[in-house]
Amino acid sequence: MKQKADVLQGTLALMVLKTLDVLGPLHGYGIARRIEQISGDLLAVNQGTLYPVLLKLEQEGVIASEWGASENNRRARFYRLTREGRKQLQVETQDWQQTAAIIDRFFAARAEDFS
Amino acid sequence: MKSLRRFFTRVFNFASRRVHDERLREEIEEHIALRTAENLRAGLSPVEARRQAILKFGSMESIKAEYRAERGLPLIEALLQDVRFGLRLLRKSPGFTFVAVLTLALGIGANTAIFSLIDSVMLRLLPVQQPEQLVQLLKFNPARHRTDDGFTYALWENVRDRQDVFSDTLAWSEKRFDLSQGGAVHNANGIFASGSFFRMLGVTPAAGRLLVPSDDYRGCPPVAVLSYGFWREHFGGAANAVGSMLSLNGHVFDVIGVSASGFHGVEVGSKYDVAIPLCSAGLFDGKTSRLDTRDWWWLSIVGRLKPDVTAEQLQARLKVLSPQVFAAALPPDWGVEGSRDFLQRQLASVPAPTGISEMRAQFGQPLVILLAVAGLVLLIASANLASLMLARAASRSKEISVRKALGASRARLVQQLLTECLMLSFAGALLGILVARWGTALLVRQISTADNTVFLDLSPDIRILVFTACIAVATAVLFGILPALRFSRVPLVAAMKGIEAPETVHRTWFRARSGSWIVASQVALSLVLLMVAGLFLRSLTNLVTLDLGFDRNNVLLMTAILKPSTVPPDKRLAVYQEIEARLRSLPGVVSVGSTQRTPVTQGGWSQPVEVGRAGAPARDEKDVWFQAVSPGYFGTLRTALLAGRDFNWHDDKTSVLVAIVNQSFVNEFFPSADPVGQSFRRIEGPVKPATTIQIVGVVKDSKYSSLHEAPFPQAFFPIAQVPDRVEADAEEIYAARTAPPPSAMIAAAQNAVAGVNKGISLSFHSLAEHVDDSIVQERLLAVLSGFFGVLALFLAMIGLYGTLAYLVSRRQAEFGLRMALGAPRRSILQLVMGEMIVILLAGALAGITMSLVTVRLIRKFLFGLTPHDPVTLSCALALLAAVALIACYLPARRAMRVEPVIALRYE
Repeated sequence: MKQKADVLQGTLALMVLKTLDVLGPLHGYGIARRIEQISGDLLAVNQGTLYPVLLKLEQEGVIASEWGASENNRRARFYRLTREGRKQLQVETQDWQQTAAIIDRFFAARAEDFS
Repeated sequence: MKSLRRFFTRVFNFASRRVHDERLREEIEEHIALRTAENLRAGLSPVEARRQAILKFGSMESIKAEYRAERGLPLIEALLQDVRFGLRLLRKSPGFTFVAVLTLALGIGANTAIFSLIDSVMLRLLPVQQPEQLVQLLKFNPARHRTDDGFTYALWENVRDRQDVFSDTLAWSEKRFDLSQGGAVHNANGIFASGSFFRMLGVTPAAGRLLVPSDDYRGCPPVAVLSYGFWREHFGGAANAVGSMLSLNGHVFDVIGVSASGFHGVEVGSKYDVAIPLCSAGLFDGKTSRLDTRDWWWLSIVGRLKPDVTAEQLQARLKVLSPQVFAAALPPDWGVEGSRDFLQRQLASVPAPTGISEMRAQFGQPLVILLAVAGLVLLIASANLASLMLARAASRSKEISVRKALGASRARLVQQLLTECLMLSFAGALLGILVARWGTALLVRQISTADNTVFLDLSPDIRILVFTACIAVATAVLFGILPALRFSRVPLVAAMKGIEAPETVHRTWFRARSGSWIVASQVALSLVLLMVAGLFLRSLTNLVTLDLGFDRNNVLLMTAILKPSTVPPDKRLAVYQEIEARLRSLPGVVSVGSTQRTPVTQGGWSQPVEVGRAGAPARDEKDVWFQAVSPGYFGTLRTALLAGRDFNWHDDKTSVLVAIVNQSFVNEFFPSADPVGQSFRRIEGPVKPATTIQIVGVVKDSKYSSLHEAPFPQAFFPIAQVPDRVEADAEEIYAARTAPPPSAMIAAAQNAVAGVNKGISLSFHSLAEHVDDSIVQERLLAVLSGFFGVLALFLAMIGLYGTLAYLVSRRQAEFGLRMALGAPRRSILQLVMGEMIVILLAGALAGITMSLVTVRLIRKFLFGLTPHDPVTLSCALALLAAVALIACYLPARRAMRVEPVIALRYE
């Protein structure tokens, strides 16, 4: 099994928030599909792991959910971002960008930069 | 903030058992349906489309588990699940559960019982107001480098009036009072209490009023306060007890009140019955009152430290205070040297929030030793349970492998087994608390003597509960961890097929042998216990069989108290003689003598003695201990008269002063000359002239104050020639050698004395009992450690047998094979016994090493032997070996009897 699936776990929550932010209310499958499209084959296997993450976010209060009808007219659970979730997404986006920038700089650095 | 919210949601979900499973199931279904539809659109066949969708979704069960874990409180849910599962399992094997819980109940109960005693003797705060502020005053004698807690009345008055570090101070002294008016003594524990006693401790009255400072002045009226318990017992809790009269040693006191229940005094180990003010102490002393005698050290002092005074400040103040206090309380007749010595003494202090107790010195360390011994027993019991659990783990390997195959993690399996162990342990602890209640009462009876009924507050407190819970958890971990680790390592496939994994494959020696390790450690621990028990038992035997210098058996001791009001002091000698004569004439009485102190009793009378040798002007003095006895005393006690004569009633005030001395006296003062006819001088102090006394006889050495003492010089005087304190009560102790058991003679003796004078109070003991009561500490150690030793031996035997039987049963196939290949049965026996003997030897060696270290800690409590006593060690080893061989023989024989055909077919 590839290790990258584990890395994904940590950032899955952030991806969910961003997806809901961009696309508005979505059901679980829709979120999974979207993440799959954007991240390539990262969420190709074990898509089920999304659901515990959704529950965790909901219990934290950053997303909320309600029953609705899906595109094939079946009952589906729709998730949407709460106000708190939007705030958190902002904060985490900033954090992430900062972290990513720092890591980038480290990767760009060569040996002579440290001397 | 967010995690808090998440936590509360979880708790809510857990508590409300909200069903989310349905929602998840629906979501999963929806997810898969949508995916399948998409796959269909991509051109897959319906079957393949659904298969791909499910594959992509991932492991359904693990996601469900993750989801559930996210939803509620997984730890607690798992715990509850484990508890339910454990209960079911334990119900399924009631035999195992019974044995385990019982073993634990005994082990934990014994530890809790001993800890309860330690708690109530040493740790418990006094049930008074702010006990943490209490400080006991001591006095330090730099000349002798000794600290003690006795104070004179003059010192108490000066401390009370001059000190500025305590918000309040109290003084008290214990005294036993006789409530009867003659005849059989009815004793009550009395205290002389300063007027501040109850006020300082913050004790409230249950009826009437308590002593106050204005009750305590010279010439005060006789008033008494009762303890709650005494009021219930003696007065039935009647309201009219207040205002009634109480006779204490013949003096009448007015009862003014009753103290609140739960207050038993400041002395831990006894309870007070009656409290009377200090000022009334003079009533019992006659002319030389203890209120005025400046070298009568009868009081203990406790102060309540002011809240802002630190320990250093207290020490500094006491240092400044000491010279003033001692100067003001100087005894008038101590001479130059004595006075200098007295003035050098200093006040010291010790925190007293747990009260004051003589028991602590006597039983503190023995109790800690016993706790350690009981702890060892619990360890051995845990080892037994560990081997039982190991055997169970093996028989449950199929169940374990199924659970593993379904995805249970190793940690989860270990947690489940430990939960089972904890359940057993806590069941044992609950039952153990009951065992402990009974055991503590038994222990208290063990340490009570005829003279001193021990009273302890044994109500359970938080410390005891915490202790019990801690040892329950520790025990569970101890007996559970090894089986749990072993159990969770069951090889999956082999176990599912029902094949026991061969012991040697993929295992280290240690793991394969964990059973043997347990057995070896049991042997080692048992040996330590047996060694300790053996040493204590042999010490006790040494004490019991010691040559006391007198024959303790069949001697009735009768203490007669003659009050000046019933027997005028000038008639005392005549009364003594008449009582003796009447006792002697009783049928069953062989001989009678009397004394003013019972042998083997703490305290006594000593003074320096010098002997004038020809041409030796220098003073060559040494302390000698004295005792006053009547003619016939030595004959009655069967103390051999080695030379000279016994006293007779003509040795009185009008004749020359005589003494009988013991062998050590002769060795000390007359190593070469014949002592009979010689004289010695008793030095009476710096002022009075010495008394010259003639030696008329020599007796064998006998014990004076304790069985442990080495012989030292003693001298005996005739009762008629010792100074008599005429105003005070006279106490004469009669020793009667009886043909029937001493207790059978009590009624007759009582009647005989009543015929002389009905006002004489009497109490009875037997000399053997009295001597036995002096070694209560040693007996406690010997009896309890002996009991634990036997228990340990028994547990070790069961453990050995169980482990061996199990090992043998697992190797049946191997033995069968060996036999089928032609090994004689004897060789199988040798194989099994040989392995066992290696384990036993390893255990014994470890045990010997451990004992040799351990026994040094108990050296102080041994008598007549060294801690490395070879006899005890060999006995312990022999006993252990015998028990071990019996335990090994049965399984080994079974191994030998294995039928090869059956054993092989079983495989």
